[in-house]
Amino acid sequence: MSSLGLSLMLPLQNYWCILWRRKLTLVAVIWLLVIVAAALLAPWISPYDPLDINAMDRLLEPSMTHWFGTDNFGRDTLSRCIYGARMAIVIGLGSVLVALVGGTLIGMLSAYFSRLGHVLMRGVDVLMAFPALLLALILMTLLERSIVNTVLVIGLVYMTTTARIIFGMSLKLKGEVFVDAALCTGASHSRILLKHMLPNLWSPLLVQASFIFAFAQLQAAALDFLGLGLPPEVPSWGNMLAEARIYITRASWLLTFPGLLIILSVFSINLVGDLLRDSMDPRFKDDIAGV
Amino acid sequence: MSVFIIKRLLSLIPTLLLASMLIFLFVHLIPGDPAAVLLGDLATPEEVAALTTEMGLDEPVYLQYYYWLTHVLQGDLGTSIFFQVPVLTVIGDGAETSILLALMTMIWIITIGLPLGILAASRHGTIVDQLCSGGAMMAASVPTFWLGLYLILIFSVGLGWLPSSGFPSLTDDGGVFNLRYLILPSLALAAPNAALIIRLVRSSMLDVAREDFVRTARAKGLHPTRIAVKHVFRNALIAVVAAFGFTFAALISEAVVTETVFSLPGIGRLVVQSILRRDYPVIQGVILVIVVLYMTINLLVDLAYARLDPRVSLK
Repeated sequence: MSSLGLSLMLPLQNYWCILWRRKLTLVAVIWLLVIVAAALLAPWISPYDPLDINAMDRLLEPSMTHWFGTDNFGRDTLSRCIYGARMAIVIGLGSVLVALVGGTLIGMLSAYFSRLGHVLMRGVDVLMAFPALLLALILMTLLERSIVNTVLVIGLVYMTTTARIIFGMSLKLKGEVFVDAALCTGASHSRILLKHMLPNLWSPLLVQASFIFAFAQLQAAALDFLGLGLPPEVPSWGNMLAEARIYITRASWLLTFPGLLIILSVFSINLVGDLLRDSMDPRFKDDIAGV
Repeated sequence: MSVFIIKRLLSLIPTLLLASMLIFLFVHLIPGDPAAVLLGDLATPEEVAALTTEMGLDEPVYLQYYYWLTHVLQGDLGTSIFFQVPVLTVIGDGAETSILLALMTMIWIITIGLPLGILAASRHGTIVDQLCSGGAMMAASVPTFWLGLYLILIFSVGLGWLPSSGFPSLTDDGGVFNLRYLILPSLALAAPNAALIIRLVRSSMLDVAREDFVRTARAKGLHPTRIAVKHVFRNALIAVVAAFGFTFAALISEAVVTETVFSLPGIGRLVVQSILRRDYPVIQGVILVIVVLYMTINLLVDLAYARLDPRVSLK
């Protein structure tokens, strides 16, 4: 494989140096690790069952027994927040996977086989004629509310943008000498695509992944809020906010905690994404002053 | 330039046609029978069947699409099943709210985003820059509906300064003062978008500042303010104009959430409500209008881009 300007990822130890200099990003990484730990250890660390309804404990303010208070069914908000971390990660990883696999396939194949590209990229154009949230909204109306459908729909929405980006980059790669060289040695199409072109796309894909992960959180929360996302019984941060809407005047904590979790997580992922993107920028070395 | 415009316009036609097919198909795949929904729970199967025939819903889908498209091309989007008035009238009723909301949001974005972006770029690397960029990234991480609910909690419920929901028309009692109903919604909608503009103005100004002609200007001994305004900002504006266009286009769909939070009688809420009511003609019409609007704005952005940067149309 020949290396192009597209892969300028730094060695791992350099990231430690940069993280040390960008303290805020370091905090963001730690926060994300906490979220991952919470998601993995949810059954052991959450003080109550997130689905346990208790009519006596309705809308209790945050206290020593219920740190984040309780909701209108008397369910413990902290426990639901902890389980919500699981949903956040499932939605994020799932959407990233769908968007990147689909988008890379469409983008690379379209660039490599130009006839097929005309058809595929036209399809992408049509889907991109719809505003992102609107497209997600219509598709979710067609499908049942479920975790898998939400992941598929959000993934599809970002598949189009990924396909566009990868298409552009693959077109450039296709014109490179090393692809011609591989063709001359008799390499098959799949070998050229997978062994020669794909490795050059890893770094932009990684950056793209971080931003899709962040956007997916906001989109999923918006869908939940409109009643078209995850099934209502699933304890996701978006669903918690959707339910809290009626009670905001009596129980503002129901709005505050899940909201802050979404904001902090999306903020942290964006910071990490910025770091990844900057590390691909050749001018990066003399410009590490930003946040 | 004119060749470029014509080319771009022509390329819209097949995309639009395919999009209209997709909209029609989507809407017809939505589970639920509009005739049954319209007649309610007490209707007999015969009544439902009769209404289905009357509405033409028993015809093959491609024929229904053909009828719909030919009517649309004549400016007739059909009749709302729920309201029993033309779809265009229903959309027109929501347009005032949505357009005013979008305009107010753009005003916030321009008055907050632009100055802060320029400030961050001109104080590059200082604490001011870090606060602006960090704040912008934080604002971009907030779900708009959450921000909307919190604004209601603080300014409507807590302080009682501003109304929390609804929007009477400007022609109703109160006149221009009715715009106060849109202050909180537009702020909630503006926050993440202003954040994008701040980041974009900052980064494109920094990009331009690295160019050779800026160094030349500096070497000539020009005043820093003059360099910032005349040389850097002017060239950075190209990217910023494009961003404004895309932001405006994005507002259309983001308004769906904001209008729902603040119960505004706009086009965004119309989308959600007509989906819930299974009002096929309205769903189709509204989505078509939004898609056409979205594509038009994107086209205008492209043209503005080509106008500001002659290299674009030459490609």
